[in-house]
Amino acid sequence: MKTTIQEQDGNMVAILEGRLDTAAAPETEKAMNPLYDCEGQDIIIDCTKLEYVSSSGLRIFLGILKNAKPKGCHVYIKNISDDIRAVFAMTGFINLFEFK
Amino acid sequence: MRHFSFKGMLKQLARPSLLLIVVATVTLAATSLIQYYFSKKGIRDEAVMRAESQLETTRVRIMDVVNQTEAAVRNSVWIACWCLDVPDSLQVVARRVVEDNPVVMGSTVALVPGYYSEHPLFSPYVCREDGKLVTKSLATDEYNYPSQEWFTKPIELGEGYWSEPYIDEGGGNVLMTTYSVPLKDYRGKTAAVLTADMSLEWLSHLVNDMQVYQNAYGVIVSRQGKVMIGPDNDNENDNDKVQEYTTRVERTGWTMTIVIPEKEIFGGIRRISLLVNLLQLLGIGMIILILRIVTRNQLKYQKVKEKEAAIESELHVANAIQTGMLPHTFPTYPDRDDVQLYASLTPAKDVGGDLFDFHIRDEKLFFCIGDVSGKGVPASLFMSVTRSIFRTMSARESMPDRIVATMNETIADMNETNMFVTLFVGVLDLPTGRLRYSNAGHDAPLLVGAGVGTLPCDSNIPVGVMTGWKYTLQETQIFTGTTIFLYTDGLTEAEDANHAQFRMERVNDVANKALEKGLQEPKQLIGLMTDAVHQFVGDAEQSDDLTMMAVQYIKEQRDVRLHKTIVLPNDTKEVPRLAAFVDEVCEAVGFSPSVTMQLNLALEEAVVNVMNYAYPPGTRGDVTVEAASNDVRLKFTIIDNGSPFDPTLKPDADITLTAEERPIGGLGILMVRQIMDSINYERVDGCNVLTLRKKLAVQDQTTKQSNK
Repeated sequence: MKTTIQEQDGNMVAILEGRLDTAAAPETEKAMNPLYDCEGQDIIIDCTKLEYVSSSGLRIFLGILKNAKPKGCHVYIKNISDDIRAVFAMTGFINLFEFK
Repeated sequence: MRHFSFKGMLKQLARPSLLLIVVATVTLAATSLIQYYFSKKGIRDEAVMRAESQLETTRVRIMDVVNQTEAAVRNSVWIACWCLDVPDSLQVVARRVVEDNPVVMGSTVALVPGYYSEHPLFSPYVCREDGKLVTKSLATDEYNYPSQEWFTKPIELGEGYWSEPYIDEGGGNVLMTTYSVPLKDYRGKTAAVLTADMSLEWLSHLVNDMQVYQNAYGVIVSRQGKVMIGPDNDNENDNDKVQEYTTRVERTGWTMTIVIPEKEIFGGIRRISLLVNLLQLLGIGMIILILRIVTRNQLKYQKVKEKEAAIESELHVANAIQTGMLPHTFPTYPDRDDVQLYASLTPAKDVGGDLFDFHIRDEKLFFCIGDVSGKGVPASLFMSVTRSIFRTMSARESMPDRIVATMNETIADMNETNMFVTLFVGVLDLPTGRLRYSNAGHDAPLLVGAGVGTLPCDSNIPVGVMTGWKYTLQETQIFTGTTIFLYTDGLTEAEDANHAQFRMERVNDVANKALEKGLQEPKQLIGLMTDAVHQFVGDAEQSDDLTMMAVQYIKEQRDVRLHKTIVLPNDTKEVPRLAAFVDEVCEAVGFSPSVTMQLNLALEEAVVNVMNYAYPPGTRGDVTVEAASNDVRLKFTIIDNGSPFDPTLKPDADITLTAEERPIGGLGILMVRQIMDSINYERVDGCNVLTLRKKLAVQDQTTKQSNK
């Protein structure tokens, strides 16, 4: 599991690659810590290369969203696969996030 | 509608009442008429008899006096004839007639005028006056005896003659009648008349004595129609009808009559008739009164009936609602290959308090049967409440003893009517055939399998009696093919017309016969039992609800196509190994990548749950994951020997909440339920056993959740 944080067009972008399962979650959460410092920028989680996400991963997303929303930051999920979109759907997360 | 039937009923009631009154009146009137007629006839006959006998008696007494008087005269005829030549001796003859005959009050020998040349008229008369005999002469100008009837008639007739009554002024000076006989001298010429006077005073006493009735009176009329003796005063009321009885007194030419006023004769019977008629009227009046009361009561009764009918129809609605709430489509689980279930509830006339329910959650069949004390609407309501609580409890609790205990706490707490319900709650674990049950005072179910036996049940008190009771949990293994037969006492206590009960022995007999014939499938068994009860009961009215439920466990061991096992330590870092295992299994059974990913997700969530919660933090333990498949489905079994932990009881996360409201966590079990076809937890031999199943036929079912 590889996590890259970068700035792109004034937005904070997290690029996730590989399987975000329970084993990988702690490390990924740590890697995504900078996103908690967002100040007005939008956050984009780029899932183009994300193969898998379990509830541990969804929890990280929810944590980021809960932190960002009060600050007026949007959290976008980008390029999500149909399989993972299904996971978002069955958990109701599809209603919480904005998708690109 | 109600008004119409009310009127119609009035008419229906009025018609027989009227008829009854008419018939009663006619009968009574006819009876009294007939009775009156015959009584009157009898009384008239009686009156006739009395009057005639009285008349006869009186007549005989009169005749006696008449005869004496006639005899007195006749006996003196010869001497009078002999004395004709000696005028002065005739006075002696007259004296002798009076003297010798007490009935004679006066006598004379009156000579034909001119018989004696020296006496143109000659009639010495002797009569009684104040007890003495006085001699007078009737040969006076005033009296002029030759013109008197007593003188002329006998001479004219040439024989003895009774005169018309008269008052003999100058003679006897009283009302009298005279018997006179003509006397002939030796030449055969009529010379004189010999008389004897008879006072009518005694006759009047005699006639007045003839009082057969109080106001009856006697009348004697002379031959010329002169009333000799009659009532002193003229009939006070000529309009009064009278009955007259008459006889003749021979020789004298008198007619004697007894006059009886009709009201004297028939007064008694008229009074009685009047009384009888009054009583009859009173009776008819009472009949009318009673009929009115009866009719009114009938109307009241009718109203009560109508009200009852309304209540009854409402009860039927209640009943329909009640039975509608119970499961009633069978087979309920047509696509299940491990359990068959059938139930029937035949309510008694009133809504009853029997209940049964069942549902499958997480590969466990939760079922219950119960019987609320009492009948009618209260029992029905109580039954509905009980069933609701069973549904609620069994949705989040898998142990029957705890379900029953919680139900008891809830019901006993709010139970102000002191009703209670006997209840059997069973939880059949479908993958293993493990039956856990708790029996709260209900009839023990039968097991129909290798033989027929009763499921051993601890004696617990019924639900709702008192709070705080610790209900016991019992457990047994149900083998494939065995049917659990549950029933309420409406079966064993079904009564025939003679109030004999069906009894447990018959239930056992039927079960044994069913088993012999291989008819122990739920529907067959209940059908046989129903037939047997109907045959036994006959036409007797069903007194209690009759509820039966049968559950047959038919788990078949299929050929295992695949069997793989992995043992992981309780470390979430081991998840990738689990993923590899799942991928391998999924590939072996031919699942698509999408399904494979979902199964990975489900397995990860389930196993991580165990890793996190089954073992206390910091302790080591293993989690075994077995994968097995047959033709139909793939099954994962997750086993650990940690502390008891049933993930199926964790509430699902609420996916409708907003980001701010959503707790972090609670998603895992939700996803497992979404992905897998079934989830089942069992605690077996100190191990937590969680079974997840997925049908093989379903390929690429990636959008299952989108339907929800």
